[in-house]
Amino acid sequence: MAALTLRNIHKRYGGVHIIKGVDLDIAHGEFVVFVGPSGCGKSTLLRMIAGLEEISEGDLAIGGTRVNDTPPAERGIAMVFQSYALYPHMSVRDNMGFALRLAKVPEAQIKAKVDRAAQLLHLDQLLERKPAALSGGQRQRVAIGRAIVREPKVFLFDEPLSNLDASLRVQMRIEIARMHERLGATMVYVTHDQVEAMTMADKIVVLQGGVVEQVGSPLELYHHPRNRFVAGFIGSPKMNFLACTVRALGAQGVSVELPGGSRVTVPVEAAGVQPGQALTLGVRPEHLVEGERAGSGTLNGQVLVVERLGGSTFLYVDVNGETLTLQVDGNSRTGVDDRVAIAVDGAVCQLFDATGVALARHDRHPLADLGRHRAA
Amino acid sequence: MSASTLLQKFGWRRLSRLEIVQLVSLTIIAIVVVSPLIILVVASLKPDRFAILADMGSMRAFWVDDPTLNNYREILSFDGALPFGRYLVNSVFILLTTVTGGLLINSMAAFVLAWGQMRGRAVILSVLIALYIIPQESIVMPLLVLVNKLGMSDGFSAQILPWMASPIYIFLFYQFFKQVPKDIVEAARMDGASLFRIYWSIFVPLSLPVMATVTILLGIDMWNQYLWPMLVTQSDYARPISVAIAGFFGQDTVFWNTAMAASVLMMVPVLVFYLFFQKWFMNSFAGAVKG
Repeated sequence: MAALTLRNIHKRYGGVHIIKGVDLDIAHGEFVVFVGPSGCGKSTLLRMIAGLEEISEGDLAIGGTRVNDTPPAERGIAMVFQSYALYPHMSVRDNMGFALRLAKVPEAQIKAKVDRAAQLLHLDQLLERKPAALSGGQRQRVAIGRAIVREPKVFLFDEPLSNLDASLRVQMRIEIARMHERLGATMVYVTHDQVEAMTMADKIVVLQGGVVEQVGSPLELYHHPRNRFVAGFIGSPKMNFLACTVRALGAQGVSVELPGGSRVTVPVEAAGVQPGQALTLGVRPEHLVEGERAGSGTLNGQVLVVERLGGSTFLYVDVNGETLTLQVDGNSRTGVDDRVAIAVDGAVCQLFDATGVALARHDRHPLADLGRHRAA
Repeated sequence: MSASTLLQKFGWRRLSRLEIVQLVSLTIIAIVVVSPLIILVVASLKPDRFAILADMGSMRAFWVDDPTLNNYREILSFDGALPFGRYLVNSVFILLTTVTGGLLINSMAAFVLAWGQMRGRAVILSVLIALYIIPQESIVMPLLVLVNKLGMSDGFSAQILPWMASPIYIFLFYQFFKQVPKDIVEAARMDGASLFRIYWSIFVPLSLPVMATVTILLGIDMWNQYLWPMLVTQSDYARPISVAIAGFFGQDTVFWNTAMAASVLMMVPVLVFYLFFQKWFMNSFAGAVKG
């Protein structure tokens, strides 16, 4: 079993506090993604798990054993670096077999393991080449192969796809996901790309300023963000935020008044909320609808920019000085400078208080706990 | 057929004025650089040591009427304290051990300075760079005292050990090692490599270009050593060829013919080496100047 446990992990460089007490449980076989903006500490946290950075305070356990003071090579982990970090003077085969050779594994066994990994990653034709003779995607595969042959308990990925071009990134994303299915190993993956996080993770850990903002399944983070930061970070394009005022509290939820005077009722707990209080309403671009709808609030604005992607179109609309993003049907004919009405359905909105904390929703979204496999 | 069409026929073309100036100046430079070598080789083939001296001031220095290999025969069958070939072997031995040791010691020191965990690395590095400013000649006397006190004088160790480690070569390695991405070092740590293994299996093979530079620069330096071996060798036993040649320049008489032949013999290995590794030489000097 290769569960990972982080308890009150801190990292300080001199006087600078980078990681401020992280608690996290990662189950065996889970694919966990650390995501957050630059400098949030996600890579540092990964490097602490790898053993490349000392842990200033707290406990790290892999498979139930405390490994704070265990050298990296003895932790049963393998890491894939953003820069691939291949040894330039060694062939692909030697790169992949280096760790095994150091561990004094018999040559025949090394060959067998390298061949198997190479086959899995479609590198069989490239084994005798040097890294310089490989494309970016091939190098990345070699780096992954180097991790695979060690048969680690935990795979660590440090932004492994950020040096690849967009189409290759999608392809490698799929390959890594399939590899995870096949190997069933625990994987911890760091990225600043929330799309990678959403598409690959069983569990996303959103970090900001060295603190875990929220841990949950991709859809849990999407539908139940704990605060404004997570709400804004997860989802693409970003969630829209609008200032609003509480007008009524009831069993249905909290009724707020939008800019322009129309009202929506958001199904959240009303505890601690007073009529007249200022809140922030969050609504995702894909949940806004062009036109007026019965039972929905309405915003009016003027289109600033239109981005037509074919399948869908993004409208950037000026509403009382705020720019709202709408994702509408690709067949929408709306153009720049058009005046549009926007329907806001309270049922899919979020409310945040002045400190940015989300008000708890009445119902849990039915898909919030759905993993990559369909629930039995 | 005019001259220009004739030129065209052979695929040549008229040279521009700039190209002519370049060609002429390069030719002059080449003559200036190469003529001492020609004089040396020509003189080594002349039978009469007095004639060599007499010819020196005229164009006759470039010409020999009755070439002979007698001077070479005389040297190679020289029955002084030691046969001449022995000095050659001494020189080769000193060069090989110094260069081999120098490659290891300088690169290891540089590796620790670049990637070790040791405290005070920056201070050591700046002291090393400061040492580079001090010319070899100025430390010769204290070094001689030191070598004598250690009982190493008049042997090989005195000619080898002082020159193995050198701030300039440590710095050359250091600069190269610093450029190796941190990720590669960390990947090796994750793969279970010790610090020495990282040095040996990754940094040494990666630094082959620097190794070549140091081999060439240190090798030439050692081959041409004169003052120091002169000072530390009292007997002939460990004397290198450079000092042995000086023996032909007696106090009263100079055996120009044999001295010239001996000089040619000393130069030949370097020239042959240069012909084979010309590219490496170029890179070395370019790199050394840049570094």
